[in-house]
Amino acid sequence: MSADFLARLAQGVLNLSWQSLVMIAVAGLLLYLAIVRDYEPLLLLPIGAGALLANLPLSPLLGEQGMLTVIYRAGIENELFPLLIFIGIGALTDFGPLLENPRMVLLGAAGQFGIFATLLLALALGFTRNEAASIGIIGAIDGPTSIYVSGILAPQLLGPITVAAYSYMALVPVIMPPVIRLLTSQRERRIRMPYSQRTISKRTRVIFPIAATIIVGILVPFATPLVGSLMLGNLMRESGAVERLTHASANELANIVTLFLGLAVGSTMVGTEFLRLSTLLILLLGILAFAIDTAAGLLFGKLLSALSGGRINPIIGAAGISAFPMAARVVQRIAAEEDFENFILFHAMGANAAGQVASVVAGGVLLALMGAG
Amino acid sequence: MDDLMFGLQVTLYGMGLVFALLTLLWALLALVARLEARPQRTSAGAPVAAPAPQALAATGVRVQGPGADQLAPELLAAIAVAVLAHAADHRPQVAAEVRSPAPDSLLAASRWVSAGRARQTARATSRRRG
Repeated sequence: MSADFLARLAQGVLNLSWQSLVMIAVAGLLLYLAIVRDYEPLLLLPIGAGALLANLPLSPLLGEQGMLTVIYRAGIENELFPLLIFIGIGALTDFGPLLENPRMVLLGAAGQFGIFATLLLALALGFTRNEAASIGIIGAIDGPTSIYVSGILAPQLLGPITVAAYSYMALVPVIMPPVIRLLTSQRERRIRMPYSQRTISKRTRVIFPIAATIIVGILVPFATPLVGSLMLGNLMRESGAVERLTHASANELANIVTLFLGLAVGSTMVGTEFLRLSTLLILLLGILAFAIDTAAGLLFGKLLSALSGGRINPIIGAAGISAFPMAARVVQRIAAEEDFENFILFHAMGANAAGQVASVVAGGVLLALMGAG
Repeated sequence: MDDLMFGLQVTLYGMGLVFALLTLLWALLALVARLEARPQRTSAGAPVAAPAPQALAATGVRVQGPGADQLAPELLAAIAVAVLAHAADHRPQVAAEVRSPAPDSLLAASRWVSAGRARQTARATSRRRG
């Protein structure tokens, strides 16, 4: 048996680098979080699997015709997957709480401040402008928007940004409560909000996605793909005319694309590219972005509370982010901890739905300001 | 320094634009609400007729546990609606043996019927294999 033959057989072991081993451990951590801790398993499991497959030595999956490369080119490079996911999200989202209380859209706007504050911090840390904007978009707390924007502005940072966006989204119940408690008094958290129940007609529900697409599309064309996809899904849902398509978008389409998206993002986490100081900084800035979003929403909630003569519970401002409906549930839980009979869930859901629309708008605005395209 | 100035500009314009766009959306939603033919408003304090106990019993939903008998009829009705909506939503999605039958269907009489059928089917399959 020649040495050449033996070397060919052992090339997997011979090409194993320390970076590959570290990334295999990282992939193991992601799989652990998904399977054992149930943290965003739909995304973290495929991402972990993608990272594992991409870091095995000489992985043919990353070759020119490798499966992961083909998936990446088919859906990430051209921004297709995040948009398809948005159609599914739109088909799953009920904007009713927002339509019943339209002023909540302002809380959604305030909840986007984390994007811009993080952008400033990233610039101060020496990231380029496009990289800083991509890191800032983690503050949208919206996975598909983060992938869409960073894929255009800084595709080299796609891996860490996506991992930060999705894994921190699972940590919303951990990140939000201390910020809320720090910035509000017990008296503020106990404020009860009256319910004004208004029946939202089907006509309004149908008009909303169409009008939102037209307004945002005309004023911020960069946001058209994001808002258009989100609202297409919602229009299908609310019109009731295409139940099969709505069901397919919310289930089959969303599930298949989620799998491909996760694998493709995981495949970008190759050790030699991923294991850098910048990745650590991105992860730190990401968690800061979440905290700043919560704080900004809260402070704006306080402002609205003061302007309304104390009739608005300021903590619903913290729900003005895109993590739907987890943020609203956390806010309700905190309110109930102070006063068991205080039900602000519906108001918080309104702010949360606004946060979803606002994050998409903010993503488009950011792309426009960065001159992308 | 240039980069930071750029960042501040982006922050200023960005937040301004996001607020402006969403304010526009708010105005539009308010307009649509006004144009609604007959907006029905029910204030939180307005009296709502409590459901009759017979109506609640007819749903087949029973609320049990300590203090359950002290719950207000409105709250019991809300719980019944939530349970029925949840059952209607999930019934087609779960496996046959754990599927919760509609409250007024024949199968509602005994959930173990479906579980028993599942066991029978499993036994028949294993006999055929054997």
